[in-house]
Amino acid sequence: MHEFTIRRRRLLKSGGAAALISLAPRQMLSNDIAGCAAQIQGGVPANGGPCPYPIPWLDKNGNHNQIAGPNFELSHIFHFKGKLARCSGFTGMGRDNEGNRLAWGTGTTDFSYMAGEYWAAREAQQGVYAHI
Amino acid sequence: MPDGGLTFSPDGQTAMLTMKNVPIVDQPKWPSLDAIASPAFLDFNLVFKAANDPAQYEDASRWYRFTGFKASAQLEATVRVPSIGFEFKTDALETSKADFAVMGEEVNGKYYG
Repeated sequence: MHEFTIRRRRLLKSGGAAALISLAPRQMLSNDIAGCAAQIQGGVPANGGPCPYPIPWLDKNGNHNQIAGPNFELSHIFHFKGKLARCSGFTGMGRDNEGNRLAWGTGTTDFSYMAGEYWAAREAQQGVYAHI
Repeated sequence: MPDGGLTFSPDGQTAMLTMKNVPIVDQPKWPSLDAIASPAFLDFNLVFKAANDPAQYEDASRWYRFTGFKASAQLEATVRVPSIGFEFKTDALETSKADFAVMGEEVNGKYYG
């Protein structure tokens, strides 16, 4: 996964540019505004990347925002076929490093694995993923 | 996932997911806006065992179909939060339980049909 960091000054600059976009001719958008995706050279089509597509109705953090259960989309990857298991609602006990006995687990203590084929970058990809 | 992190029994009815030093975030007050987030690390061992009770979940409007079996799931884990010197270790795997677990196969998106 890529990690994006935007300095405050850059963020403010982008905000200013965004305010101007509504006044700019459309031709400017892909070439002149800092922060836009680079223009693809050589006339080849965009090919995306090999990372899996998220389920379309997940939020931008990749959360279903509901507890896994029956009649629920269990996968976190769209365009996927393969093995999958998912569980939720763990309960148990444990001990911290000071010897305190503590309960752990909630309805949203949710784990899964996905192992198989997914479609990205216009071809089938193989992968094994865990969700914790 | 690292090689060997996911293993299956020869009959495919049991799956074991094992990972160590997984970087996570400890954020006890989430989703509060002032929730402090601390780097933490998780070791865990998760075991799924399929039962003989079939399960199929399908929604054609959302292009997915899961076909498999209801299952049991048990977990043992250790979590460490170095910045506050905290460590928590669960009791043995056999003492935990999950309210919901399934294992099987799924098709969705372009593979749905």
